[in-house]
Amino acid sequence: MKQSKYIILACTLIVSLVSCKKYLDVNTDTDNPSNQSVLIQNRLPWIEHFYQYTAGVTNYRTSCQTGVYYTNSANPNTFSTTWACTNANSTTSYQTWFVEVSSNLVDMYKAAEKQGAYHYMAASDVFHALGYMEMLDLYGEMPYTEAGTGNPSPSPDDGKTIFNGCMAKLNEAIDLFSRTQDPVLPTLASGDLWSNGNVDKWIKLCWGLKARYMLKLSKKADLYNADSILYCLSKGPQSNADNTAGPGFNNSTQLDYLIGDPVVTNGNWDYVAYGATNRISQYYYDLLTNMRGSGVTDPRMTKIVPASMANVKLDGSGKVMSYTWNRSKGVDSYGPSTRLLKGTPTSIALQSYAAANTSVTYAIANATDRTNFINDQIASGRTYTVDGNNVKVTYPAGSIFINSTNYLYAGDTAYVNLQSGSLATTKVAQPATDVNWYPAPASGAAAGAFNAGVIGSTGSFQVRPVSDQEILTYHEMCFIKAEVYLRKGDAGSAYTAYTDGIKAHLNMMQAKLTQWKASNYNNPDMWPMDQAAIDAYLVSPAVAPGASITMADIMLQKYLAMGCSIENWNDMRRFNFSAGNVGGFGVVYPGYKRGPLFTGQAQLTGGSPTDVRYWMRRWALPPTYEIQYNSEHTLALNHHAADPNIWCMPIWWDCATDDEYNGYLKN
Amino acid sequence: MRKRKLINLIMFVMLCMIANNLMAQGVPISGTVLSDNDATPLGGVTVAVSGTNRATVTDSKGKFTITATEGAMLEFSYVGYATQRVKATADMQVRLSSAEATQMGEVVVTAMGIKKERKALGYSVTELNAQELMKNKNTNVVNSLAGKVPGVNITQFGGSAGAGASITIRGGNSTSESRQNQPLFVIDGIIYDNSTSVTGNTGTDGLSRSNTSYSNRVMDINPEDVETLSVLKGAAAAALYGSRAADGVVIITTKKGAEGKVTVNVASKISNSWENGLPDPQTVFGPGNYASNGVLNTTNTYDSWGPKIPADSTIYDNIGGFFQHGIVYDNNVNLSGGSKNGSFFLSASNFNQTGIVPGTAYDKTTFRFNGEQKYGALTLNANVAYSVANTDRTLTTAGLYLSGVGSMQSLYRWPQTFDIKNYINPDGSQHRVYAGTLGLESDIDNPYWIINQNKLTSKTNRFTGGVNANYKIADWWDLSARLGYDKYATNDYTFISPGSALIPLYQNGRLSKDLLDYTYITTTVMTNFHKTFFNDFEAHLMLGTTSENTQTVGQNHWGYNFNTPGTYSFNTIAASNKFFTDATTRRRLVGAYGEFGVSYRNIVYLTATGRNDWSSTLPIENRSYFYPSISGSFVFTELLPKSTILSFGKVRASWARVGKDANPYATGTYVNPPITVGSFTGIGNQYSAGNPILIPEIQNSWEVGGEFRFLKGRIGLDYTYYHSETENQIGQPRLAQSGGFIFSTLNAGTVINKGMEIALTGKPIAQRDLSWDVTLNFSYNKGRLGAFIPGVAYFYPTDAQFGTIKAASIPNGGYFLGMIGQPYLREKDTKGQEIPNGRYLVDPTTGFYKLNTGLPVVGNREPDFIGGINNTLRYKMLTLSFLLDIRKGGDVFNGTEYFMIANGLSKQTLLNDRQSVTVTGINSQTGAEFNQTYTAGQSYTIGSTTYAGTNMIQQYWANYAANSYNFITSVNWVKLRSLSLTYDFTNMLKSKKIFKEISATAVGTNLFTWTNYKGMDPEVSAAGGTGGSGSTGIDYLGVPAVTSVTFGVNLKF
Repeated sequence: MKQSKYIILACTLIVSLVSCKKYLDVNTDTDNPSNQSVLIQNRLPWIEHFYQYTAGVTNYRTSCQTGVYYTNSANPNTFSTTWACTNANSTTSYQTWFVEVSSNLVDMYKAAEKQGAYHYMAASDVFHALGYMEMLDLYGEMPYTEAGTGNPSPSPDDGKTIFNGCMAKLNEAIDLFSRTQDPVLPTLASGDLWSNGNVDKWIKLCWGLKARYMLKLSKKADLYNADSILYCLSKGPQSNADNTAGPGFNNSTQLDYLIGDPVVTNGNWDYVAYGATNRISQYYYDLLTNMRGSGVTDPRMTKIVPASMANVKLDGSGKVMSYTWNRSKGVDSYGPSTRLLKGTPTSIALQSYAAANTSVTYAIANATDRTNFINDQIASGRTYTVDGNNVKVTYPAGSIFINSTNYLYAGDTAYVNLQSGSLATTKVAQPATDVNWYPAPASGAAAGAFNAGVIGSTGSFQVRPVSDQEILTYHEMCFIKAEVYLRKGDAGSAYTAYTDGIKAHLNMMQAKLTQWKASNYNNPDMWPMDQAAIDAYLVSPAVAPGASITMADIMLQKYLAMGCSIENWNDMRRFNFSAGNVGGFGVVYPGYKRGPLFTGQAQLTGGSPTDVRYWMRRWALPPTYEIQYNSEHTLALNHHAADPNIWCMPIWWDCATDDEYNGYLKN
Repeated sequence: MRKRKLINLIMFVMLCMIANNLMAQGVPISGTVLSDNDATPLGGVTVAVSGTNRATVTDSKGKFTITATEGAMLEFSYVGYATQRVKATADMQVRLSSAEATQMGEVVVTAMGIKKERKALGYSVTELNAQELMKNKNTNVVNSLAGKVPGVNITQFGGSAGAGASITIRGGNSTSESRQNQPLFVIDGIIYDNSTSVTGNTGTDGLSRSNTSYSNRVMDINPEDVETLSVLKGAAAAALYGSRAADGVVIITTKKGAEGKVTVNVASKISNSWENGLPDPQTVFGPGNYASNGVLNTTNTYDSWGPKIPADSTIYDNIGGFFQHGIVYDNNVNLSGGSKNGSFFLSASNFNQTGIVPGTAYDKTTFRFNGEQKYGALTLNANVAYSVANTDRTLTTAGLYLSGVGSMQSLYRWPQTFDIKNYINPDGSQHRVYAGTLGLESDIDNPYWIINQNKLTSKTNRFTGGVNANYKIADWWDLSARLGYDKYATNDYTFISPGSALIPLYQNGRLSKDLLDYTYITTTVMTNFHKTFFNDFEAHLMLGTTSENTQTVGQNHWGYNFNTPGTYSFNTIAASNKFFTDATTRRRLVGAYGEFGVSYRNIVYLTATGRNDWSSTLPIENRSYFYPSISGSFVFTELLPKSTILSFGKVRASWARVGKDANPYATGTYVNPPITVGSFTGIGNQYSAGNPILIPEIQNSWEVGGEFRFLKGRIGLDYTYYHSETENQIGQPRLAQSGGFIFSTLNAGTVINKGMEIALTGKPIAQRDLSWDVTLNFSYNKGRLGAFIPGVAYFYPTDAQFGTIKAASIPNGGYFLGMIGQPYLREKDTKGQEIPNGRYLVDPTTGFYKLNTGLPVVGNREPDFIGGINNTLRYKMLTLSFLLDIRKGGDVFNGTEYFMIANGLSKQTLLNDRQSVTVTGINSQTGAEFNQTYTAGQSYTIGSTTYAGTNMIQQYWANYAANSYNFITSVNWVKLRSLSLTYDFTNMLKSKKIFKEISATAVGTNLFTWTNYKGMDPEVSAAGGTGGSGSTGIDYLGVPAVTSVTFGVNLKF
């Protein structure tokens, strides 16, 4: 007994004291790899995907600002309709860029540098430029030189520093891409989701980005250099084959770690068409149906403006037997805004599906409204009964209708929402080649509309889960060239570039539509345009004739082609929106204005369109993640970062001089 | 059920075995108590039979009579005198020594289990014995401390069966939510985990701290096994425990067998509990809401903004009818005995509780064996305990993203004209009020559907054990070694029934299973030296070393869409819809420590300690850190002439430093699971950044205090003032995302706690048949956050944000237990500062008050002070105890009322019969007076939209709900925390062949609360177990707190 006791004691001592160092070396997570061990060819697809995600939310929200989309979602509605910009809009772009991408760039660059993998260093540089320039476009100032490295309290930099830094990174990228990488290293192709390692295309992307960024300086007499831009364009994309796009797929249900959105889909879709809150705005709709007041419907219109089924008749088995397409109207926020004025700015209602005949009783106290409402029912051929103020309408089985007793909303089926379905987000077993939206039934099984084949939305070209996410395209290059030439006074060259741009965009769309058709996507809006309509359009009054070309002609065609893109907002700022006071070009974006539902006096404090502070010129920094957590640094650089009217403070490239810019920050 | 039967069987067998051996019987024992100083009789001395409630007091001649078995131990206690334990004999004479005159003063258990005289301590320690803890027995030992220990703050997580509680001592020291501020629990020398673990995933199964009930793992202890509980409050007291002791230590010593006959104790209790408060919904207006143009919607809303309920309608008491009486059956048996060289203690218990929410339950079974054997100079101790705790619970609120609603959230909004009990259709599908007009994914589940169809369980099996060997090498030198083991596995099961109101993906059911496996192994070797020299000096030296090895393994399995109706298992889910993840953490620590103490006569005591730790969680170059402490006490009355007024006086002071290591893996940055896009695999960083240059967090603290006894000990006073400062806070707060991460690990910031504790004991009445003991305690703490990295306005734990409120700590001298939210903006003075009671700003673009959305500080959840008054009144064999728990100040957010205002169920919304509301203030754009009444029948044009008055009234309340200040109260309360009445029947026993002792007890818990708080119960914590500033003071859609009445019988054989 005594012996065993000593043995126990001795063992205990040994366990306690011996090989202490080794005993303590357990501070490595055995379930999760460390960031030190990630291969560069695994970093790059991550960066490409999550940059697409950042760009998606940015494109969406800025497109609400520029009038491409209307939304009934409360926060972005303050971009599309009331212009009482809420800070809640500011967070996602910032968070997804900084958290999902920025630190990975630093790690990928370091790892590539260690191995001498030039092409991965270069790719890191390109994403650095893409991301930080986008942040500059949105926020004006934020941490840059100290960002993305785990420094929890980085100091911000001004717009000029960020701009110059991004340009320098592109120059470095061009140099690095031009070098030959040691063949033993991972090839760019092994990690390049976007361009399959085509270095030539990457170099053209760099030059194209330089052109895009140098164009931002158009307000700066001392820095704007037309010939430099033209030089960059000459080395950038020369045809649609040189376009850089992020691919979108519908072949997986995997969701991302931060927001929980699918990882294979197009980033624009994640925000514009994931849910049912967004619709085409009247402004965009008009460009597609009445460009230059021509009354000509663009062949691209039915590919961009969604439709739903109407007048559906179901057969005995409950399947669609006959129907017509209900092509969406645009929601008007800038013009008379008749519909929105009847409700609240966010009142456009969601469509439901009537699986069986469904009656709704509307109480309509106003006699005129009641008469108009009844006339609408007669026109639609619906059964109705009237009892005093009450009008009872029956929606036949198979109808898409508004499931509300509020008569004001009953006609909102005219505004088809932009939602598209995906494998990861729809319950009903839609095959991968069916990305239509099927509205939820007011009652009955969720699959009702799908099983019947009643489509609630055919979706829109740029914002389906399987759409290409355009990063830099040849048609954008053409429109930049057109603008630069017109600014130089060379209308002839401008005109050539302008028509090249329109054709390039039509061709790009047609190629994708042809591909979709070949892949058996089941919706006619995803099939090619009629070539005859394209040809007719190009010679129609919708396209400017020859040398009489105006800046508005160029910029509106560019706007139409860019669509869901931050570049429209960048361009609009350069032309002071519709103020008409830039460079003698007149009003470049006619019809873009504060609408009758405008309530943004506190955010946009300018009193008249020629006052720069009349317009949305930047986003507030994220109220919590930057202003609250880094307030001291933030306010030291920009005294007004937390002011309600920060939304109308021009950013660096939107100012003619550094003095003007610094004046905004300090005064 | 089967388990219950087994336990009953075990108990019965034990009874039979023991009954055979019962020979001894209780007899009246009488005797006299004299003072040792002058042999005068001592009146008012409490004479208690050890281990029972039975006690008497000596009369003025020092005489007493008490019923006890021969050989039982009697305890003689008198304030100011050392308690003596004497074996009962006929006609005994006992001499009590006054504490100041004896070598052996009151002894308390201190760090590392070392017993020390209280007067030698340079810091504050509070000790509670079994009797005190059992007065208002709670199955969670932590709850039994409420109101009894100055400086200790207990918060119950809610009224659910199996809900835990949190304990903080002298405020919290760490800001970060991943860092606990609760004290270390040490049971019989072995560190005992007290986590409140959340195993699941808030996104996929709704499991987060706020959405259901969680137990704190100290609940695995059977409270009846506890002999003493010692609370070491400050760092000086706890320093020897090292890295994990910065928040104080609770040392629990379990019962041991005593030399003598084998005794059996059986205690049975039955208790009935019910909610002590419920929201009181309005029953005037029915379901519906009004669109901006005034059109009434009654086709798809659970809001209660609709028209008046017609007089002939049935109104259902949905909330009142929902809760049931909770019943507890609590059975304990223990068996103990011993010989000269050995002793044993064996116990079994079962605590079976049904909750006040139907379908919820908590069932705990425990076993313990403690044994001791001496072999000459060697003493061996062994303890093993096994427990099984099962909780049936319910989701009370919604988790993040896609988990549907919870039962309380649904209950507190259900319109009163709908019969909530009608929840299921004959075909088994959910009865849905708006089935025809609202898709399932947009609907909300009926609470009865949630509690009857879904199934959430949590099961924990725990084994703890320790072996301790002590070898007395010489009178003055001993050596001991200990091996400890703590292991538990928690298995959580969450099944969401098909047909629940979830996103379409999950409408055909969802299942998740989570495992958390915790293992802790520790070894300790310690040696002690004692020596007296020059007669007057005594010194001791202790040296020791310890190692700790902690590992947790977490596994989550989840899936959705059962493909075979009726069988809900992972086997009926397609492979593509099933997911699992693993998480393992390891932490190791080696410590070496020593203590040196020296005392001069009984006057001056000085103790110094030092410890060095090597922790695996810190970077290699920073993993070793040393921290010392020094403390002293001075019994000044030893130097004064004897006084009957001040019979004892001592002052004490201490200073200590304690280091705290990091969480495992905090030094590294890790990556996410890969994404697959086409043929490419993408891997990127997680949103938390590690920090490879972390240094340990350091707490420096000091305290001063004194102990005084007056009037020969009739009155005692203990006073402490303390100050602690915890620097280099290791945390992973949310910081500027431009750093590239959401959470970044860093050392920054300081937490400062200052406060004071007062305990006053008195014995106003001490007569033979009547005595009254009273203890009054009082404490306050002010927790503040020091400087932090510049520009950070606040920290908040993710788990504690409700309605418009977030629990948060505020840097640069702000509240540690702050609360941030959205108040209405008031007018500003010429300097741009808000005028404290200025008029509200009205936003002309909405027609309502303008909110400050910048999340300013709106409250401090820390009370101004807390206190307790603990009374014991004894009349003959009847003992009455009651405990009053007092709190003054400290803000509470009534999130339940916020919720009910937002959905139109609150009675407040009946203002003006919902015919009008008035907005008064100044126009935020023009500064002009704004005074506008919105009337139901009118319409109003705001901006360019015309709104019906009915809609404006609804919007008014939405605006009202958005103002955090409308729901914040600085709360005061006096709670009758417990009231217990015990009668000892032992004297009445005619034949004592079987029973030696019988007593019966009736206890009421939380019988009354006097408070200015308008909600259910102000003692709230909406998200149990949150670290950092926690969630105390936030009341949000929880299960109501309960009042209970317990009847119990104690039998001794």
